[in-house]
Amino acid sequence: MWVSCSRWRLFVRRCWSRECQETMLCALSLFFVCILSACAFVLPVDLLLPLAAINGFLVLHGLARRGSIMGVVKLGVIQLTITLSLYLLLYGVGHLAQGAVVVGRIMLATIPGWWLCITAAPERIGEVLSAFLPSKWAFVVAASLSLLPYMAEEVREIYQIQCLRGARITPKALRNPKNWPELVYCVLFPVLIQLLKLSRQMAVAAQSRHFGKSTRVTHWHSPRDKK
Amino acid sequence: MKKKLPLSLQDSLFIGFCATLLVALTSMLRLKLGISGHSMFLMSFFYLICYGVLGRFGSMIACGGIAGLVAMALGVGKGGPMILLKFILPAIAMDLVALLLPLTLSLHWRCMILGIVGCMAWAVKVALSNVLAGMAFDVVLIQWGASVLKGGFFATLGALLVPPVLHRLKAHDLLHRDKF
Repeated sequence: MWVSCSRWRLFVRRCWSRECQETMLCALSLFFVCILSACAFVLPVDLLLPLAAINGFLVLHGLARRGSIMGVVKLGVIQLTITLSLYLLLYGVGHLAQGAVVVGRIMLATIPGWWLCITAAPERIGEVLSAFLPSKWAFVVAASLSLLPYMAEEVREIYQIQCLRGARITPKALRNPKNWPELVYCVLFPVLIQLLKLSRQMAVAAQSRHFGKSTRVTHWHSPRDKK
Repeated sequence: MKKKLPLSLQDSLFIGFCATLLVALTSMLRLKLGISGHSMFLMSFFYLICYGVLGRFGSMIACGGIAGLVAMALGVGKGGPMILLKFILPAIAMDLVALLLPLTLSLHWRCMILGIVGCMAWAVKVALSNVLAGMAFDVVLIQWGASVLKGGFFATLGALLVPPVLHRLKAHDLLHRDKF
């Protein structure tokens, strides 16, 4: 009896480790964000005010975590200008309030997503999403996410070298869509070649370690996370 | 177009890398042009590269799905879970239309048609959220039309760059396909 009890305790402790807690918290916040975004579209107008209050708390929490809200504000202003001017042209002044409510709903659907991006760690979101995906695609998503810094560095290096060669791909030159093909030939094409080679190497490396052979999938735990 | 569903690990990884690069470039090259729709340039380019390199049904949907997941995980854009729709809707539309297009049609025309179809589906996502928010139907329709016009220009530009890039990749002997 005592042995089974201690075994059970050990099992619970192992399951409820810090990593596990973080993953659970992330899954809950992802669920919470989906519900809040859906509520913004579904709820009647009277209930939008409590929802706005909840979103206000999220904004405050996001700002406390040093998130920048400028992007959301800019989106709101542009959306408000376009929608209100269209409502004014088509229906007159009487329907302006209706247009404002519509923009308000869109903003209330956007804010939870912004909050999630600030509060949740990317690798935790990846782990939560992997629970719904087949193991091969979970591996692909995890590999892509972890190789992102490498890819970004590669793109930056190629971009800078091509700029030094005199390619018309500086931010100022890219304002003109005429120069966009140059960006594709000078930067994207070499990067695509690198990606094709990298995917071949990675597939060989994974398959030589018997990837996808066993039915029981194992996961790597970084020793860095255990500290 | 072959209709084999399971992709090899190498192809899946290539799709994953393309999707990640699409998301990374979209966030890196956030051009302050003041017009919406320029994201369609990179989106149509990468989806059509996947279509050209792999030539299978499902390659664009997989690319769109992974791009949506990666964008959601990395917090690119401001949509949260809605960003998944933004990436996957054009991919689904393009993959379905690619099934219907005859292979005898030249690659340029196929890419252009697929780019425009993708752009229309991309605009549907915007219209869908507007309809859900209760916007008047006329306003939704006008905004959808404006999005298609703006995004269509960029999508066609991106799509037209795909055939030369595919031919260059073929010249480097990096593709295992004889014909596009």
